[in-house]
Amino acid sequence: MEKLCALCVSVVKMEEWMEPVMVVEHVTRRFGSGETEVVAVRDVSLAVEPGEIVLIMGPSGSGKTTLLLMLGGLLRPSEGRIRIGEDDLTELDERRLPEVRLRRIGFIFQDFNLFSSLSALDNVALVVQLTGLSRRAARRRARQLLEELGMGHRLNFLPEKLSGGEKQRVAIARALVNEPDIILADEPTANLDSRRGHETMRLLRRIAKEGMRSVIIVSHDERIKDIADRVLWLEDGSFKNEVEMATDPVCGMSVDRERAPAQVVYDGRTLYFCAPGCRDEFLANPKQFL
Amino acid sequence: MFHLAWRNLLQSRTQFFLGVGGVALALLLMLSLDALLVGSEQDLVAYIYQSGADIFVAQEGVRNLHMAASAISMQDMRRAARTEGVASASPILYTTGVVETEQADVLSYIIGFDPREPLGGPQVIVAGTAQLGRGEAIIDNAVARSQGVELGDEIEILGETFTVVGLTEGLTNIINSVTFIHIDDFRALRRGDSISYALLAVEPGYDPAEVAAAIEARNEDVTALPREVFAREERQIVKDMSVEVIYIMNMAGLLIGLAVTALTLYTSTLRKRQEYGVLKAMGAKNRHLYSVVVVQAFLSLTMGSAVAIGLVWLMGSILPLVVPGTAMALTQAGVVRVLTAALGIGVVAALVPAWQMARLDPAQVFRS
Repeated sequence: MEKLCALCVSVVKMEEWMEPVMVVEHVTRRFGSGETEVVAVRDVSLAVEPGEIVLIMGPSGSGKTTLLLMLGGLLRPSEGRIRIGEDDLTELDERRLPEVRLRRIGFIFQDFNLFSSLSALDNVALVVQLTGLSRRAARRRARQLLEELGMGHRLNFLPEKLSGGEKQRVAIARALVNEPDIILADEPTANLDSRRGHETMRLLRRIAKEGMRSVIIVSHDERIKDIADRVLWLEDGSFKNEVEMATDPVCGMSVDRERAPAQVVYDGRTLYFCAPGCRDEFLANPKQFL
Repeated sequence: MFHLAWRNLLQSRTQFFLGVGGVALALLLMLSLDALLVGSEQDLVAYIYQSGADIFVAQEGVRNLHMAASAISMQDMRRAARTEGVASASPILYTTGVVETEQADVLSYIIGFDPREPLGGPQVIVAGTAQLGRGEAIIDNAVARSQGVELGDEIEILGETFTVVGLTEGLTNIINSVTFIHIDDFRALRRGDSISYALLAVEPGYDPAEVAAAIEARNEDVTALPREVFAREERQIVKDMSVEVIYIMNMAGLLIGLAVTALTLYTSTLRKRQEYGVLKAMGAKNRHLYSVVVVQAFLSLTMGSAVAIGLVWLMGSILPLVVPGTAMALTQAGVVRVLTAALGIGVVAALVPAWQMARLDPAQVFRS
């Protein structure tokens, strides 16, 4: 009975958690008017769950950046609504938007965009200070987070002295430090080599799953599909076919169901694997992974 | 924000030094002009203080020495001397003239005094004697040094030849010097019995202002002023004559400072445009960004001001050694004036970058 009650509580909590963090309803964005009008984003709807990683892909000029700007409260839609929790970004006063961006949204930029004159520690602390915390308290929090992200030995280094991967860790720490509900990442692996790109992806996944933070990534990088729970294809301003993802039971990577290199029907369920190696490992001892 | 502003300011050392140096240069121009003016004012009235007089009696309406012509009679002086509270009265003759040395002509106040009288003659003699006779002159040591004149040398004053028998000190300023000759020589040159000024000493316990008022009440043909008032009038007339130049130079300094500070802040803001955009995208409000500009302006101006004040102080110590007769006096009022100007520069210079910040579109970060 006790176990059942505990489960009930857990279910209730799960239901609470599963309220979408971000809801996008029929959002359209037009630029210009009359004959010169361009519809960059057309009637897009989306709900993002806590801890979910959504990857938005699409060709250049498909409206990805415009959509990301609207999701980040940096551009108002022409039509439709965007909500983060109880805050309606489309209704909020211009003076309140910075506060929402500061506390509810974390940004990760393509070029890292760190403040070149500040150390790694101060880059992160500065964002905390914007919330009104003292510099000392802000640095304490920034230090703790950077140490958690394995940057404890590079706290006082200027960005120019950091590798690409390290810069991205600082940028991620900066996005996380105010404990936002949602993280918006613009091409987070674009300037990283393959190994560092993988590290960043794993880090983003860990942040999403352990911290139950939603992550929306705009990218051309196919590798990011591995960590995404959902892949959306944006073309001509609209979402086309949604890519369904599954989790590889062996390595935990997300796998595009349609393009999975290996799959097995086991006990009536179809399981998808990122590589034949994972499939073979699974088949050798299925109970270990279920 | 202070830390970001500070780090941004220091990031480009060249730009930092140019910015602070430019501000310092502009403020130096303003501050040194001010210090020169004040120093000159102090030197200009040195004779008035060294003469030993408590009251200066002049022709009615004459209230100073510089560019003034005064003539009163010996009878006027004697009448003044009979006023209650007057201890002694000494006549002097005065004009502005040129002292011709072998090297150059030097502009000078020419004072004719009677060595037997207690007032009017040189009080500080560094070489030779104050007891000069006919055909003799006393010049200031700074003029003697700069013109290579020594005791016993001959100089020409008002077209007559005089032998230098004494050297004074502290009576040369940026405009001119003070040269003493015997009052009888002066009278002979002037061909008249009148005197220029009567210098009065007041008995202990009497107020010079009250005594001067009493003198004027007794004789409508004279103006009697206590030493402090006479000196103030002297300073004022010189200031009035040079104020246009000082004003123009100060405006030039102000504009240079404004241009340098504004340009430094503008380029610094422009250089960091992308980063400020990031900051804005992440939730910084305009006031956060304004504070970066204001702090940068404040820091540049504070450091520029400190450098300028230090340099003026240094110049004040060195300049009199290099250019005799120049004196720089750094006053509290002068420093406050220049710092106020610096603050004005900072406020105006920060306007354009602040306007840039306000218009910054954070979305540009994603479009770059």
